[in-house]
Amino acid sequence: MPILAERGYLIPAIDTESVDYLACAIQLAESIRQWHPDANISAITVKRCDNPVFDHVIPLPHGDLGGFANDWQCFEASPYRQTIKLEADMIATSPIDHWWTLFEKRDVVISQGCKGIFNEPSNNRTYRRLFDSNALPDVYNAVTYWRLSLTAKNFFELVKNIFANWDRFKTILKFPDELPTTDVVYAVATIIMGVETVTLPPGIGPMITHMKPGIIPSVTNDWTNEFVWENTSPGLRVQTVAQSGLFHYHVKDWRAL
Amino acid sequence: MTQGVLLFAFNNEQIDYLAMAAWSARNIRRHLNLPTCVVTNVVDIPGTYQFDQVATVDLPPTEQTKYFKDYKSVAAWHNKNRSNAYELSPWDHTLVLDVDFVVASDQLKQLFNIDQDFLAHRWAYDIAGHQAFQDNNWFGTYRMPMSWATIMCFRRSKKAELIFNTMQMIRDNWTHYRQLYQVSEHTFRNDYALSIAMNVVDGHTLSTPSIPWQLASVTPETKLTQVDPDTYKIEYESSDSKPKWLLLKQDFHAMGKRALGEIVANPC
Repeated sequence: MPILAERGYLIPAIDTESVDYLACAIQLAESIRQWHPDANISAITVKRCDNPVFDHVIPLPHGDLGGFANDWQCFEASPYRQTIKLEADMIATSPIDHWWTLFEKRDVVISQGCKGIFNEPSNNRTYRRLFDSNALPDVYNAVTYWRLSLTAKNFFELVKNIFANWDRFKTILKFPDELPTTDVVYAVATIIMGVETVTLPPGIGPMITHMKPGIIPSVTNDWTNEFVWENTSPGLRVQTVAQSGLFHYHVKDWRAL
Repeated sequence: MTQGVLLFAFNNEQIDYLAMAAWSARNIRRHLNLPTCVVTNVVDIPGTYQFDQVATVDLPPTEQTKYFKDYKSVAAWHNKNRSNAYELSPWDHTLVLDVDFVVASDQLKQLFNIDQDFLAHRWAYDIAGHQAFQDNNWFGTYRMPMSWATIMCFRRSKKAELIFNTMQMIRDNWTHYRQLYQVSEHTFRNDYALSIAMNVVDGHTLSTPSIPWQLASVTPETKLTQVDPDTYKIEYESSDSKPKWLLLKQDFHAMGKRALGEIVANPC
């Protein structure tokens, strides 16, 4: 993909049988535009999409390889010299453009950790046992920055390699998943590349709000029917508390805007 | 800028809060060298009680009850006018203290040197080290972060006025707020009202500055005695069921009213 702009947000939006990720991506892009009307935003999808919220809608360069294995294609597909890749099922609940300043001196930055609705870092490890068992860094690919660089190229080639050779890579892990997930693949790649090479020090940089039960104090699996949430346009309050940064809503068909 | 300490004391059938307030006023004078004002419905204040000012008010209109663990019984709890502190305080810079907060040092003086309009504790801990106490730092099913109303330090300012006005709004609409935050107890607590009010006044961001140390607490399950005027002994069972004791030479929140009442009745 030729470079069309210096900086931009890239949202992979490949639908699955159960999830309309393109609809999620449109909501995310709209939420970013509420804070940053002039932001460059592109989607990667296999569907036709004419929604003007996106500057560009880009097909997967190598086609849909299925599931998480499409992730490494984002590097090739991005039309930006500096890219922040965002998982589609999130919304921006506050300005996020200060991240560019935070990231711009680095080649690759993967976000680390997650937080709950009261803006407190989560220490719930229910979903991260594989990471803890293997002393993997607590990375979340939900927010990943790169600039066109050899480091970024090597990182995504490594990601592609790990996905393609998961049967071999998983033998070095305790209690591995049968199928690779992007976060685990990124964590393994982070170890190989060097943690300092592709992350910021823990506690610095974006931390998504993760709405999975356990991380949040919901009683049921569906927080959207349980918590009081308010679209403050722009912005979001949950249980009266204003959210900040990117809000990973987990209930994929939740539409707030 | 005038400074002083405001104490609220409404007796019930079990606890002589006014005596506690008088005892606390003496400690405040010794350690903080600050005047005190007691807010009470008692008209005939005993001559031995030395408050600098007395604000006589009616008993808070709505009476509620509370189970006092150490008394193992329910008694009236007149706590609904703490949010009137802003109107009742005669000073520019006021420290509102629960009368069961034991002043045994000059630590609280530091609060008057902090350039903030309103301060309260975000965190409390059990001096005996029981981890289960940590749960008290949140409230409601969804674990809203707690701000403790045990100590409130405020300057006469728009922000402080807003916080107290908001506490009153929450008190007057407690059924609504109780449902919103999924609080299982029926009892209104100033800690809850303060926590919610601070969040509202700070734009729902939970970013309010707090007292830069934690609130030391002695729970009703811990035996508390006085050793000398500023030394207290606590005896408790540790988490691994071993008997332990500690000498305290510090400020703390005495959550068991019975033990404190006995100390106040028979001071060293």
